[in-house]
Amino acid sequence: MRAKSAGRSAIFAGILAIAFGVFSWSLLTTPDLSVRQSTGSARLVSIEQLPDYADVCAPEEMSAIAALHAEFEHNTSVYAADTVEVNRPPVRTIRDTYPIYSSVAVDPVRNEVVLQDTNLFSIKVFNRLENTPANVDASTPKRVIIGPDTKNEYNNGLYVDLANGETYSVAMDTADAIFTFRAGAEGNTEPMRVLDIPHRGFQVTIDEERQELYSTNQYPPRLLVFRKGASGNEKPLRVIEGQRTGLADVHGVAVDSQRKLVFVGNWGNSSNYKVAGSGKHLPPSITIYSTDANGDAAPLRTIQGPKTQLNWMGAFSLDPETGNLWVANDVGNSILVFRGTDNGDVAPMKVIKGETTRLDHPAGISIDTKNKEVWVSNMGNSSATAYSLTAAGNAAPIRTIRSAPVGWKSLKFGKPQVVAYDSKREEYLVPN
Amino acid sequence: MNHPQIAAFPRLAKENQAPTRSLQGQNTLISRTMHDIQYDSLHDEILVNSPLTQAILVFDGGANGEEAPKRVIQGSKTQILGVGAMDKVSFDPATGDIYLATARHNIVVFPYGSNGDVAPVRTLGGPDTLIRFIDQTDGSGNTPPIRVDPVNNLLVVPTRPPGQIPGLLIFDKNASGNTKPLRVIRGPKTMIAGGQQMAISPKGYIVAGATGNSIGVWSILDNGDVPPKWRIPVRQISGLNVNGIALNHRDQELMVPTGNGNTVMTFYFPEIF
Repeated sequence: MRAKSAGRSAIFAGILAIAFGVFSWSLLTTPDLSVRQSTGSARLVSIEQLPDYADVCAPEEMSAIAALHAEFEHNTSVYAADTVEVNRPPVRTIRDTYPIYSSVAVDPVRNEVVLQDTNLFSIKVFNRLENTPANVDASTPKRVIIGPDTKNEYNNGLYVDLANGETYSVAMDTADAIFTFRAGAEGNTEPMRVLDIPHRGFQVTIDEERQELYSTNQYPPRLLVFRKGASGNEKPLRVIEGQRTGLADVHGVAVDSQRKLVFVGNWGNSSNYKVAGSGKHLPPSITIYSTDANGDAAPLRTIQGPKTQLNWMGAFSLDPETGNLWVANDVGNSILVFRGTDNGDVAPMKVIKGETTRLDHPAGISIDTKNKEVWVSNMGNSSATAYSLTAAGNAAPIRTIRSAPVGWKSLKFGKPQVVAYDSKREEYLVPN
Repeated sequence: MNHPQIAAFPRLAKENQAPTRSLQGQNTLISRTMHDIQYDSLHDEILVNSPLTQAILVFDGGANGEEAPKRVIQGSKTQILGVGAMDKVSFDPATGDIYLATARHNIVVFPYGSNGDVAPVRTLGGPDTLIRFIDQTDGSGNTPPIRVDPVNNLLVVPTRPPGQIPGLLIFDKNASGNTKPLRVIRGPKTMIAGGQQMAISPKGYIVAGATGNSIGVWSILDNGDVPPKWRIPVRQISGLNVNGIALNHRDQELMVPTGNGNTVMTFYFPEIF
């Protein structure tokens, strides 16, 4: 008897548990049920799920809208319903948690290497002699400028004033400004100076002899020359802009103060946004102007053609002793060096390229004439690599600063705003 | 931006997973300001704008590295105008026809397979259409995304007349000239906001940016000052902004790339599928 009674109790308890479970589930899922009831769409669509729009035969699917119309007319649809808030977190997130270095500046006076992190919106400063050991995942920076007060976003171009240690940083998209930070700035520091520049800035450099700041503007293509120390909405002293300039999707810039030359990198994407159908794809080029150039000035010379190997070149750096132009050749995975006197379709005087170099999408470059070195920032592997100024070919770096483990492959994100889904390959397509 | 690649990631990719392939380099002809991208599964092609060259680029679906586009729509006959104003490209998934908003506050349509300097086959624009985008200033001023619903043969066009709140205009997808929209979703209750992308689910739900950096869902049958049926408060959930919107129908997922966090989030959102 006791066993039977115990069994009945167990069955009763089980029924109670199931009933409670069902009741609880119904409470938990009430929002979903209300959603389905209010839309009715799950019952009305003629097919359960469309694998992809490509497989849709439009006329047959008209039943879906016809059914929704019927629902609308019977006033049982969603239109009077309150908005249902869906608060579930994302199921997955694609992001890069390591720095993506877009630019570099070396400061031999303070023995610092300054790296522009366009992923985490920071500026990281390392000891110049830092060389990340192979068994260490990442070097620790001496200091980091990061935080909302820095206003750094999509930070790209970088320049360090060797005289006073001030750091200039180009915010190339949303902020549209050049921020200047004091020497030794660290943490969530406000810039000491903010210069407004047009949307789509890229690199900044300074002609210290003339005390002029050069700022490149990708599009509309132009080179703006400001007074060094300019701030706010101060107007440029000069603007090189116009059809004769040969400027087209402007990127890098370098100034040779001694020889009074300005070198400008052009990716070749060209159009007049006010004229329909005026777009053109031109070969990439380096256009060279006098430092006195202004307005619609034709270049003195143009380096352009297949021998140049230019391929989405990033920043420029000029060796003042030789007048040679050093180019971070991003997609070419190389450093190209041109003579300052080059013209036309010329091969670089030397190329640093190859597996031993550890170059991986080099976008920033900075020459250290004091120590006879050149530093490159690599977008592709969260590192900066240094080479002797005499290096050529497949040369190994003399030092490497890594901010990610050996072999790291960066996502190279830079403001991914949109996405498409490739249903055939089950892939996300994400442009920068 | 400084490196305007198109990177491909597996659907299940998580953080710190490198892309499986990446389109980049001079030969690709791509440029910055790619504010929309489309995958045409019918023809296995990728569509993207090259705003700085007033061009539409069409790549093979599996394109990789420095592969050149298989077709380029560009030239004086195209009527493609602007930079920010031609930063979005859309298409009809049922036919492959390309739809493009221009700085002239109109929409031009190119038939599938168009290549080179070709004229659009039709244009939708004029005062009765109510189509009005943000004006171009110095090469900036983004147009909103437009989308074709191939199931119901509709074209959804966001509009933002100066000084007015944005709205959604719903046309027949073959509408041309100065045609009135079939329906207009606009008003303070709609919460419609801007955004780089928009999507239409197979059930006829319009998924678009809503106020407060959230995503709202409306029906293609909505008309007037209609609140969204659902709302995902993305910033409240993630701390990040809403930029893009795309759908994976099979897995009932909503993708949300967000520039300010250099991040692509994926939400499970079965309600709209």
